[in-house]
Amino acid sequence: MSGAAIEIRDVEVRYGSKRAIAGVGAQVGVGVTGLLGPNGAGKTTLLRVLATVAGYDAGSIRILGFDPESGAERTEIRRKIGYMPQEPGFYQRFTAYDFVDYIAILKEMTDRGVRRGEVRRVLDAVGLGDVMGTRIRALSGGMRRRVALAQALLGSPPVLLLDEPSAGLDPELRLRFRDLISSLGEDRAVLLSTHHTEDVAALCRDVIVLHRGSILFQGSPASLAATARGRVWLSDTRPEAGAGLAWRTGDGKVRSIGARPSGAIAAEPTIEDAYLLMVGASGSEDAA
Amino acid sequence: MIWHADAEMLRAYARGELAWASAASLEAHVERCDRCTLAAGALVDRTTLDRAWARIDDELISKPGIVERGLRRLAVPDHLARLLSATPSLSVSWLLAVAIAFGFAVTAANAGGRGGLLVYITIAPLLPLAGVAVAYGPGVDPTYEIGLSAPLRSFRLLLLRSAAVLIATLAIAAVSSVFLPAGAGLVIWLIPSIAVTSTGLALGSRRPLVAAGAVAVAWILAAFVAEARSQDVLRIARLDAQVALAAVALVAVSALWRRWRAVEGD
Amino acid sequence: MTLGDDRKGVGGRPQGEPSDARLLHDVAAGNRSALETLYRRHAPWLLLRLSRRCADEGVVEEVVQDTFLAVWRGAGRYAGRGQVGAWIWGIAIRRLVDRLRRQPRVLRAVRQAHEPSAEERVLYGVEHGDLGSALERLSPELRAVVQATILDGLTTREASALLGIPAGTVKTRMMRAKAQLRGELA
Repeated sequence: MSGAAIEIRDVEVRYGSKRAIAGVGAQVGVGVTGLLGPNGAGKTTLLRVLATVAGYDAGSIRILGFDPESGAERTEIRRKIGYMPQEPGFYQRFTAYDFVDYIAILKEMTDRGVRRGEVRRVLDAVGLGDVMGTRIRALSGGMRRRVALAQALLGSPPVLLLDEPSAGLDPELRLRFRDLISSLGEDRAVLLSTHHTEDVAALCRDVIVLHRGSILFQGSPASLAATARGRVWLSDTRPEAGAGLAWRTGDGKVRSIGARPSGAIAAEPTIEDAYLLMVGASGSEDAA
Repeated sequence: MIWHADAEMLRAYARGELAWASAASLEAHVERCDRCTLAAGALVDRTTLDRAWARIDDELISKPGIVERGLRRLAVPDHLARLLSATPSLSVSWLLAVAIAFGFAVTAANAGGRGGLLVYITIAPLLPLAGVAVAYGPGVDPTYEIGLSAPLRSFRLLLLRSAAVLIATLAIAAVSSVFLPAGAGLVIWLIPSIAVTSTGLALGSRRPLVAAGAVAVAWILAAFVAEARSQDVLRIARLDAQVALAAVALVAVSALWRRWRAVEGD
Repeated sequence: MTLGDDRKGVGGRPQGEPSDARLLHDVAAGNRSALETLYRRHAPWLLLRLSRRCADEGVVEEVVQDTFLAVWRGAGRYAGRGQVGAWIWGIAIRRLVDRLRRQPRVLRAVRQAHEPSAEERVLYGVEHGDLGSALERLSPELRAVVQATILDGLTTREASALLGIPAGTVKTRMMRAKAQLRGELA
């Protein structure tokens, strides 16, 4: 074990006869690591297991050196992580402040003064300082997501597990989230799941591609893109069927991956190209 | 003639050294004058101002419900009151429903003779059980998932909320038992309630609602069978039955206690 | 006392800052930072002014808090008549009265202003005319009643709560004050 923040080895998660996660191993350190994969790939399952919300059936996990199998160490892990679920639940009639205050109590902040300062700090950090006193039911979807992110920041945990943090956000808010997450990644380990390759390109120091419960790639975004070298093509017209995935780009050309269509020229591969090649047709519906 | 209060005059005013008429005239002026109002700002110490503002702002951003405010007035510590405030079965509407149910049961007991009293005996312990079944859990609490990833053990939170629900429901039961016909009293609901609720909790770690349902059915059967075989509607209130129920309660409570201690050690 | 010309005039507020009325309008819409701006402007003077009527600093601070919470809740009720500062003072003095009514033991006696010197008496005569110096010649108890009922605009009952004396005493002192003033000014 090299001392990375998160280390998993041969981890398996089974639901009945189905294997949601099949023998994966990875290391996550300081910085932003993206967990990239289509819906159903197992990203949420993996994050839930790391957040000690779900169990696993085989393999070993170490978070900051602690083993979630042991009860005492599991509580230690919970003191050191912040988890933002994909679909967080709220008490609708609480104000944003009251809700995060409640979570702060779950995180063992029993001292009122300490808690007060911390709750205000995290709500300010996500830009909700002006609406702290608004009830959750009166907040927009984007603001609720920010509340969910704020609670994960309570106590400045060294490990952040964010499940699709910018899902359903409009582009402006998405950019602000990226800035925020980027700065968070400067001094702690952030593992976030997404099925948007632009998030990976913009944010991540490291990326893990997950597909049908298996890890297909772990490395830098640049090296992910490089795996598609020699298999990305540009042409003026749509190639004949069966030559691989093709789509029209914004400037009127047709980009395709896979075998070279006749008359096409080689194109510089992007992360999206590599991702699509890896996850095949099932990934294409979600990559937009 | 336009004049403004200078700093020296304001300081004298603040120290109470101005003659009365000057002070009165100063007040009348400053109230109308933005510049002098602002000048007064230099005389008050920043810490005091910040402290008072912090208290005001706290009131603006936090809107606790009536139950949480009530708990705080009962000297429950802030953080516990907040944990309890989100309990569905500690809400005003739930407790009102419980009160109405007890009202119905008491009416049945008074009006319906033997059958009516049996209704009361059967219903009374099921109300705290129902409250506890919906106090906390995956289907019931929207923050359950986030709660699992937090250091506070969910079992502790469940027990905390259940205790509060039990106390609140028993208080309502106590009030209702005042109106029961003579001869029926405390005993017909207190020990059965504790026994039924604690058994439901002890069995309900995996599937709380199923466990609560099973315990409820078992209780109803026990009450009806006891009455049918002895022809005595207060059979369940007789000493031997109460002792048996107390024993069940003791076993369940000690199982919960042991589990609480085990969890705390983590 | 500075006499002199002021470019900004009596109401002088620097350019670009919102007026009190504007701030109140924003407060009514739920804007917390508007309330904070209003607080930073008016709370210091409010603290000073309340301190002249109640010597207990803790009570004064709490009354200021209650006042701004009342402003938060009731900003919509400001009808736009008169200065916002006066409106806030009206709320504050009534909160103080309520407080003292519930807690009669709170220390009210404020350090009495010193008795004016001969020069000051002349000045009052110049500034306020005969009335000012006549008021000054009232005893402190009578002055307190005059201040509470006339200057602060309180009712007899409110004045009695503020000063910690029975309502009947408030009335008799007012009558004595008026009699004395009439005698002096006649």
